[in-house]
Amino acid sequence: MAAEGSPLEQFQIERLVPLHIGSVDVSYTNSALLMTIAVVLIGLLLIAGTSRGALVPGRLQSMAEMAYEFVSGMVDENIGHHGGREFFPLVFSIFMFVFFGNTLGLIPYSFTFTSHIIVTFALALFVFLLVTLVALWKHGIKFFTMFFPPGAPIFMAPILIPIEIVSYLSRPVSLSIRLFANMMAGHTMMAVFAGFTITLGIFGFFPIAINVALYALEVIVTALQAYVFTILTCLYLRDAVHLH
Amino acid sequence: MSEGGPSDPLARLGQRLDRARADENRGRSSGSAEPSPSGLGAGFRIGIELVASLVVGLALGWVFDHFLGTRPWGLIAFFFIGAAAGMMNAFRAAQRMGRGPRGG
Repeated sequence: MAAEGSPLEQFQIERLVPLHIGSVDVSYTNSALLMTIAVVLIGLLLIAGTSRGALVPGRLQSMAEMAYEFVSGMVDENIGHHGGREFFPLVFSIFMFVFFGNTLGLIPYSFTFTSHIIVTFALALFVFLLVTLVALWKHGIKFFTMFFPPGAPIFMAPILIPIEIVSYLSRPVSLSIRLFANMMAGHTMMAVFAGFTITLGIFGFFPIAINVALYALEVIVTALQAYVFTILTCLYLRDAVHLH
Repeated sequence: MSEGGPSDPLARLGQRLDRARADENRGRSSGSAEPSPSGLGAGFRIGIELVASLVVGLALGWVFDHFLGTRPWGLIAFFFIGAAAGMMNAFRAAQRMGRGPRGG
């Protein structure tokens, strides 16, 4: 699709191990490879970090504990200690997966799987379906009162209910677009500036300086977007557990 | 380290950790749900919020039309519903941001 040397070339999916089940293409791609690396790294970090259980943590253990406490605090604060703890493993997995996906993408020549909307949309859709099912399971038919803001005059219902339903359905879309757009925009911008470096010759110093700054910004963005994705998951889960 | 506390060194360590954590938390605003984003981030988020609802509304309208054969009325109606939902979502997002550390 993208031409050689284009800033979008980095998002190209490559089939590393072509696989077909029936007519469905389930090839093992570079995207899948990075996902595997992310999962393996997360597993290694947590297993190695918690295996010693020292009272004064070393580097690895400190990292594992910080990640755990960060997400744990987020869950307690946003979903509530009651009704929120059972979602902790899910929220933690989502955070680590997105965070590692974003961060591994910053390594030169690697691939950012969170820069593909199908990946982020699948994650967001999973969260959305889970939230809806949890809400239905916890509140039954009362769940549908969520689509009518309390205190609004009843004759507004024919307008308000469709609006609320569309707004509810737009959650996975905005959740996935936010992560995907941030990752893709940042990586494209860096590639564009890197391209200037070569064409400008001796003045290529300036794009390099900008890229250094951009790279620092991207490091913040990777962490921030993982955080935002996770916190919105928490907020949606809170809506599902407590309704309003 | 000559303060009167439990003689057990582990308990003393625990106390010091609790105090350090309390100090650390004092600086933050507690209870605010979302981080207060930069100007660019805020604009980006509200823009996405607006567009996402519109897209979902249009998609729903198209699906309705496709199955009910009411083209183009479903698309038109859901365009406006999606736009309204987008405005509402953007407004809610802006409201949530206002509750950041800057007060309000």
